[in-house]
Amino acid sequence: MLNFIINLSNNSGYIVSLTILTSVFAIFALGLNLQWGFSGLINFGHIAFMTIGAYTTVMLSLSGVPLIVAVIIGAGLAALLGFFIGISTLRLREDYLAIVTIGVSELVRLVANNEEWLTRGVQGVRRYQIPFVDWEPGILGKVIAIALLTGIAIFAQWQLLRGIKNQFKEYRSVQNKSYQPTKPIVCIIWGAIATIVILFIYINGIISLYNYHYQAGLMVLALLILALVYSGLEILVRSPWGRVIKAIREDEEIARALGKNVFFYKLQAFMLGGAIAGVAGSFYAWQLNAVYPTSFEPLQTFNAWIIVVVGGAGNNPGTILGAIIFWTYDAVTRFLLPQLGIDNARLSALRIMVIGLILMILVMWRPQGILGKKEELTLGK
Amino acid sequence: MTKNILLSAKGLSKSFGGIKAVNNATIELKSGSITGLIGPNGAGKTTLFNLLANFYTPDRGEVIFASKPIHQLPTHKIARQGMVRTFQVARVLSRLSVLENMLLAPQKQTGENIIKVWLDRKTIKKEEKLNREKAMSILESVGLDSKAKDYAGALSGGQRKLLEIARTLMSDPKLILLDEPAAGVNPTLINQICDHIVNWNKAGISFLIIEHNMDVIMSLCDRIWVLAEGSNLADGTPEEIQNNPHVLEAYLGQ
Repeated sequence: MLNFIINLSNNSGYIVSLTILTSVFAIFALGLNLQWGFSGLINFGHIAFMTIGAYTTVMLSLSGVPLIVAVIIGAGLAALLGFFIGISTLRLREDYLAIVTIGVSELVRLVANNEEWLTRGVQGVRRYQIPFVDWEPGILGKVIAIALLTGIAIFAQWQLLRGIKNQFKEYRSVQNKSYQPTKPIVCIIWGAIATIVILFIYINGIISLYNYHYQAGLMVLALLILALVYSGLEILVRSPWGRVIKAIREDEEIARALGKNVFFYKLQAFMLGGAIAGVAGSFYAWQLNAVYPTSFEPLQTFNAWIIVVVGGAGNNPGTILGAIIFWTYDAVTRFLLPQLGIDNARLSALRIMVIGLILMILVMWRPQGILGKKEELTLGK
Repeated sequence: MTKNILLSAKGLSKSFGGIKAVNNATIELKSGSITGLIGPNGAGKTTLFNLLANFYTPDRGEVIFASKPIHQLPTHKIARQGMVRTFQVARVLSRLSVLENMLLAPQKQTGENIIKVWLDRKTIKKEEKLNREKAMSILESVGLDSKAKDYAGALSGGQRKLLEIARTLMSDPKLILLDEPAAGVNPTLINQICDHIVNWNKAGISFLIIEHNMDVIMSLCDRIWVLAEGSNLADGTPEEIQNNPHVLEAYLGQ
């Protein structure tokens, strides 16, 4: 145990940045999950929202705008982009939306690449303001940060236990209905794994807050925003609004026949998902320390898709789980594969290949994603 | 025009390319009535429904519902006026539970406003509770209460029809447009559906029903309109229609 903690504290910096990345991509993918998982809007250009959020935040903060205002404006501009894409394409069939979003994301990246007056082009933006960099916490500051982290950990554990409890209840009450709920033993195994992950992040967080580095503060903030976005979305998708959105995903005509303004709801979902990705963009920029157009390749969009598909579309806890799996995979292969004696160039190709393989196996074995419900795929219209 | 008239459509026309699906059709129905709409296959009945509910925009003509012209309103606003339709092939939201299907229908729910979802949770909770009770009592009356938590996609064809009709009731409509409620449903369930329609009608809801099953139409309806090749052929009481030689000709051919 002591050995483990010493080991952890040596690597805690790396694990902190991994935690930040995971949170950022969890937030990013939650936005996509709202758009695709709940509303059925195929968005292949999610990275565009993140790019706008990131660049707006860093450029505004460079010209002296307070960070929090910069983040809000960034999210607002991302939502505005969603508004313009939505207003022109959401009336069309969904494949058109997919095509337009790909185009727009490339457009945004090319603007970032070439419009040097606006984004400094390929040289990238550096030395911008990052939260907590100049903060030197005393004992009180550290205690507050640790208390905050404890609160988040308790919230996560509480959500987890509540989810498991609901699964148990469902298992008992709907035994011989049209679908099979998850078996209790499976819930317990997943619950145990998730608890270990939460504990791991928590202990590592305390260690890193104790030996304070600004990234530790950033990590607490990212986790806090993740918790806020997650609980906000959970309230939203369980509300009547969420019901309308899911109804539109299933069959627009029914929603229209029942008096719902389908276009307006789709626009709201698309803009909100975009704004969430914009916030993720601010954190991504802070984590990266310097932003270049190459940080926002279309590949990131598909990383978000992988996260959503792996976790289970239309499932917010699943999306967070997907993000954890994605970055754990990233970290594990980064350290394990070199020991097999493969050179770097081949290594990165191999890692992507293995992701593809895992996705293929998953889609065959569990097409609904890890936390998704199988019936939601097999029931026809 | 008397005040009693709930829906009146005059001179409705709709063409798809060169085909006049509905040509100068007229229909009128009284408040509190059950009105039938019949005609051979391809007569334009469903197209007329789509025109009434503005799923298609009419090329010409006007639709007056509860003394207000509605043919220029967007589709979703027509349901808010109190006119709700069902579909020829029952459409349910498969991946939502039966109860959620029901809860979708009530109009003007506070929780449908994205801002209020976060700010006004108390009101929403109260509304949800009321709506849930109402939904369960309607489901109970049609015998679907035991399925409330099942996916709607797991229902049989007949049950889907029932759910679809039950769902329209949740929105407190004045008029329900039913597109072939008895198609593909077993005789026992047809009788049940008819009984429900009569009961709901007594509670003050008007119906406009497209149906090929003549027993259903003749037993339920106060008045029947006949369409053939997109135009009005006849209208009258069930007896008049049964004895109308033009109608027989249109159905059976010469």
